[in-house]
Formats: sequence, C-alpha cells, structure tokens
Amino acid sequence: MTVVLHDANTIRLIGACPADDAETLLQHLLANPEAEIDWRGCESAHASVIQVLLVAKRPLRGPAANPFLERFAGPAIAKAYERV
Amino acid sequence: MNEFVEQFLLESRDLVAQATDDLLALEEKPGDGERLDGAFRAFHTLKGAAGIVDFAAMARTLHAAEEILAAIRSSEGSIAPSVLNECLTCLDLTSRWLDAMQTTGETPATAEAEADDMISRLVASLDADEQDRLHVPKNDNWLQRLGVAAGERFEGPRTALRYVPDQDAFFQGHDPMAVIAALPNLLELDLALTDPAASLESMNTFGCGLDIVALVGTRADDVRAALTAALGATEIHELNSLNIAQAEGFRSKATSLLEAQLLVLQDGGPDGLPGRLASVGCTAVNALIYLGRSESAVDLERAVATAQAERRAAPLVEAIERALAATTPEHANDSTPSQIHAPRALRVDMNRIDALVKLTGELIVLKNAIGHAAKLSQENAEPAVLAATLREQYTLFDRLATELQTAVLRIRVLPLRSVFRRFPKLVREIAGSVGKTVRLVTEGEDTEADATIVDALFEPLLHVLRNAVDHGIENPEQRAAAGKPAIGTVILRARRDADNVVIDVEDDGAGIDVARVRAVASERRIAGAESLAAMTDIEAANLIFAAGFSTAATVTDLSGRGVGMDTVKTAVERLGGRVLLGTKPGIGTTVTLILPFSLMMTRVMTVEVAGQAFGLPLDTVLETMIIDRDLVVPIGFGRAFVLRDRTVPIVDLAEMLGLPRDPSGRNHVKVVIMSVGTQIAGLEVDRLGERMDILLKPMDGLLGGMRGIAGTTLLGDGRVLIVLDAQEMFN
Repeated sequence: MTVVLHDANTIRLIGACPADDAETLLQHLLANPEAEIDWRGCESAHASVIQVLLVAKRPLRGPAANPFLERFAGPAIAKAYERV
Repeated sequence: MNEFVEQFLLESRDLVAQATDDLLALEEKPGDGERLDGAFRAFHTLKGAAGIVDFAAMARTLHAAEEILAAIRSSEGSIAPSVLNECLTCLDLTSRWLDAMQTTGETPATAEAEADDMISRLVASLDADEQDRLHVPKNDNWLQRLGVAAGERFEGPRTALRYVPDQDAFFQGHDPMAVIAALPNLLELDLALTDPAASLESMNTFGCGLDIVALVGTRADDVRAALTAALGATEIHELNSLNIAQAEGFRSKATSLLEAQLLVLQDGGPDGLPGRLASVGCTAVNALIYLGRSESAVDLERAVATAQAERRAAPLVEAIERALAATTPEHANDSTPSQIHAPRALRVDMNRIDALVKLTGELIVLKNAIGHAAKLSQENAEPAVLAATLREQYTLFDRLATELQTAVLRIRVLPLRSVFRRFPKLVREIAGSVGKTVRLVTEGEDTEADATIVDALFEPLLHVLRNAVDHGIENPEQRAAAGKPAIGTVILRARRDADNVVIDVEDDGAGIDVARVRAVASERRIAGAESLAAMTDIEAANLIFAAGFSTAATVTDLSGRGVGMDTVKTAVERLGGRVLLGTKPGIGTTVTLILPFSLMMTRVMTVEVAGQAFGLPLDTVLETMIIDRDLVVPIGFGRAFVLRDRTVPIVDLAEMLGLPRDPSGRNHVKVVIMSVGTQIAGLEVDRLGERMDILLKPMDGLLGGMRGIAGTTLLGDGRVLIVLDAQEMFN
C-alpha cells in the first residue's frame, strides 16, 4: 500500500504508485473531502494516479521524489488546476 | 524482399481493393450499413497488417481513417461525400506506398510527411460536430497549451506532440505517463482531461481520459520511434514546419515565388547577371526557409555560389527546379511513365487449381499407358498394333496438353474490373479540376486478361482518360453551342476479340482537330511536308502518338505536361499490344488499345529466308500471296506493288536482316502482307511456312535491347525460331 491516509487532512503518496493505487486514492479523496495530497515521498506514479490528481484539484504538496514528476508532471498538474 | 513483406503486399492490395469497392458502393448508397462495416473492417485489417511490417506511417494514417469510419458507424448517420473522398484518397495513397514497397522492398521515405498531410485532410473532411466525436479534436489549437518555449526562436529541432491514449489503455497494462517520461529530451509537459467536467464522484479510475501535450527537443522521427508503443491517437509535428503546414496557402505562395524567380533568371540577357543571381538566390533561400525546408535552402545557397563562380544561371535554375519538384511531390509523380513489372504473386480461385490437379492425374494415367506401349515395342509387338496404340495415346496426350495449357493460362488471368474500378472517381476529379462534368460509363469489366497486362494497364488507361476529359470533352459552353448535353460522356469498354483483349476509350467530345495536328507535326518536325500531305486524315490524327507531340495550347495540370500520348503507345507496345485511333469532328474520339489476351502464348507464322526460319506474329499478318516479279516496281529508294488498287511498299526480309539473297532469280515473289500501325506493307520471303502456337521467350540479358525481335522459341527439331517484331522492323 503506497497511498496512505496520514490523517483526515493529508493523503500521502509513497514510493512507487501503480495503477491500482488510483482507486485507493479516489476512495480516500471521496471519504476525506478536505484532505490535501502530499506526494513528496512519491517515486513514480502511474498515469491513472495522475489522472485522479487532475480530477481532484486538491492542494498538492510537493515536489515529488522523482525528477520527471518534479520537473514536468507537478507543474503540469498545477497548470491544469489554474486553467479551470 | 522477405516473405512477410511479400505476404503483406499481397494482402494489403486485396484489402485496398475491398475497401475501395465498399466505399464506392457507399457513394451510390450512403446509408448502406453493411458496406460501411465492410470498409471499416478492411481499414482495420490494413492497419494491423501495416503494424506487423513496422510501417508506422501507414498504420497511423489508416488508424485515423478507421476512427472516422468508426465515429460514423456509431452515429448511425450516413457518410458525407467529403469524408468518402478523403477515405478513397487515403486508399490511393496506401496503394502508392505499396507500389513503392514493391519496387524497393522498403517503406517509402516520404511516407511520414504524406501521412501527416493525409491525417489532417481526413480530419478536416468532417463537420465540426463530427470532429468533436473523434478521439482527437483537431481544431482546438493544442499548440497554445505549450508555453513560450515553443514560440521562441530556437536552436536545434523542436517537436510538439499530442497523445490521447485509448480509453482502455490502463486495462491493457499501459502507462501513458511512462511513455512520456521516456521521451528523449523532454522540454515541457501539459496535462488535461478529455472531459473537463470530470469529477471525483463520477470518475472511473480504470478508464483513461488523459490528453497529453508535450514539447521535446528532438526530431519528429525520434518522437515517432519513441511513441510506437503508445496506445491511442498521437499527433506529432516538428515545429519549424508546423506553422507552414497549418497556414492555408503558404506553400502555394512560396511555390509561386520560386517559380517567379525562375522566370527572372530565364528572361533577360547576360547584363547584370551577378546581381540577378544574388537577389534571386536570396529570395529563393528565404522562401525555402519559410517553408521549413532547410536542406533545400542549403542546396540552393551552394548553387548560388556555383552560379556566381561560373557566371551562368543554369546551376541556380536547376537547384530551384529541384526545390520546386520536392515542394510539390504529387506533381512529380505524374510525369514519369512507370516500369511495367509483373505482379510477384497471384491469388487464384481454388477451382482453377483443382482443374490442374485433375489434369495432372490424367497425365499420370497416360504416362503409365505410354510405358506400357514402350514395353510392347520391346516385346516385338505387331507394328500395326503398336502404331495404333501410339497414335491413340498421342491424341490423348495432345488433348491433355492443350487442356493443361488453357488451365495454366487461366491461373494468370484477372478480370479488368480490378483496374476499371479505380477510374470513376479519378475521372470525376480530373473533370472537376478543369471545370467540366463528365460521366464515365464502364462496360465489360468482367473481361479477363493476363494479370501482368491488367496490372500494367492502369497508367496508360489513366493517361488516355485524362486526354479524353481534358482535350476531348468540350467546355460546357461549347457543348451547349453544339447542341450536346452539358454532361460529357466517356465510355470505357472492354471486350475479348479472339486472342486479343480490346479496350475502347470513347468520348463524345469535339474530335481531333486534324488540321492542327498536321500543323503541329510539321512545326515540330514530326513528319516531313511531303509525307504529311500524303497522309489520310486518320493517319495524321495518329501522329498524336508520335514522340515529342503535344497539342495542348495551354499546359494544364493534367495531360499537357509534355508527356504525350507516345507514353501510352510505348506502354501498350511493351505489352505486345497496339493502339488505334478513330475520330470524327464534332462527334468524338475513340482510342482503342488492343492487347494480347496472354503474354505467354503467341500465334506465329514461320517464313524462311536464306535457309533460316523466322516467325512473324500472326496478328500482324493479313494475308500471304505469290505475285509476278514484274509487278514489283521500284519507287524512289524502295519497291512497291499494287494490291487491289492500293500501292503497297515491299521490303525484302533477307536484305533487311543483312542475309545473303537467294540468287536463283525466280519469276515469282512470295509476299506476306502485314499491318503495321495504320498502314500495310509487304515482306518478301523465300518460303512460306506453317502456323503454330508458341511460348514466346522475350530476349533478355545482353540481347534484351535488340530491336526488331519480339523473342525466341524452340522448334520441334531443336532449332531456335526467332520471332520478329513487325512494328519495330518497319519503323
């Protein structure tokens, strides 16, 4: 399990997050409408996980622990939030 | 060529034909669901086949077409003519790629660019709301989603890409983000959702709804290579050329600018040449850079330097022409007559193979019977009995051999439909481009001919049809003035005539202006004034087939590009056929192609001169006769005699072939009357032989270029029979 509900206010993504984590993340987000996401421990994220992040539009605490996520995916998600 | 590619070419051609059939049927009946399904399946299978041989450009082009057909299928609407046309064009393009692969064994180098072009045309053919239904909505300017980096002046290549994965990509174990992360030299990434209204409550985490745009610092080809694993729709554009491709008319403006530079160079004398060279060079280089064609620009800069050094314009003119040819690839294709090559593989009806198997069985029975006869002869059987047995077996063998021959020939046979069906659309396009409305009527599509001939007929027939539409059929105004219906009619008719296949292209146009043909022929020194005066109208009209003849007063996009009807004649003659022309002023023109039914069997008549036998193709022999030597009179350098009130030139075959003449000085001359083109001529020989069917073996290797010889065959006694080509001999 690499998606962890830290407390009611933070959902953490840790290590490698495969496709299955998308559903877990979605369930946590739905159960905790106020929770932020912290992906500073995230070393890789499947596109399905990133898709949930895009839909969620929740505050995302970074940067993630992977150059691609840090340099490209993070800013792209932030930009997508601004656009809406 | 490896086995896979061969198989691929074979199957793909079938599929292209099938898809074309379905699309043409849809054109007649736009709502036909079954045909739409058929076309969709054919495109889908073609795409899969392209994937197997790693032909990425073809795969993504067909994918785009397939998506469009799928969208139309799911909307249950009928297919719009614009969409149909682009899908047919897509198949034409695929056919061209297959041709190129057949020749070179490799995927064509221009395919990627052509694919990009084709995909945008396919998408543009849809209505706006139909485009929305497609996976990749084309018209939202997705490049805007990239930041300043894309718009800045930059060093090195920049490629923008958009990737919209299939909805079930996650299910198939695919991670689009990993594909993007693996791109070489990624510069910028933009993520969006295909459904902007998606919410956590309604979303399905197993369905992919990502819309990814990225900018990378490499060439488009590298990006394509990296995206081969991508599941879904991708669009890739190298940025320096992207702006051009999107702006309507840029290409044509730059092209006309280049053409104008050519005129500047061609007009005017040597005065001020260096200055002209410099200014032309500068303008042309800019135009090319504008088009995003930096390689051509470099080539041109070099040419300017050479031209300046040599103080002449030619190198620069050539360089600009090269650049123009590369800018307009579709025009370049047209002008070169392509080689005739036999199809490498055939699809054969199972029944025809079964017939062969049956015949083989009968042959084996006969072989055993002959073995029995041989044994009888060893046992000193009664000669009369033996002779009767052998004769009976010979008769049986003769029958079987004939049947076998017919059966084998039928394997190589295809209906002409496979070429004819490509024409209705092409004729419509050609007519449209010259502002005419023309109806093409095809008759006798079921007529069969040797597969090699059927395959090689496309180009010559297309050229004849172009001529009929462009030059034959009049403008709508002229037609109205002549009291003809506004819509011109061209009939494409095939029929079997004994051992020949005859194809007529008949138009109801103005007919050939024979006076103008004579004038042009004399002006271009195609024929001398005397021979022109002696020609009948129909003979003069036939001059349009002479090399270097082209009557188009204005050079149009279609037929008047300096490639005249002579290419048609050459192509048909290479197949062992002939071209005839009939024309009636105000009523129309008919071009008739007469082709042998089969390339394999030829009927010849043998003749003998100086003790050597030669074959003459029987279809050129009109009659044989023995005439009194006194009746042959010298005329000029030649000799002639009068046959039924007609003067027929006579040629001594021995003299023509450089063989010693028979010195016996007989009172009679044996003459073979032959038809050569529209004329007849006599051939003097020593002895007339017999008629026979032979398998003509064309000359190859060192002897391949020999003129006047159609080929050779072996005679029953082991001698080689040389078969002469009457057309070439008399020319």
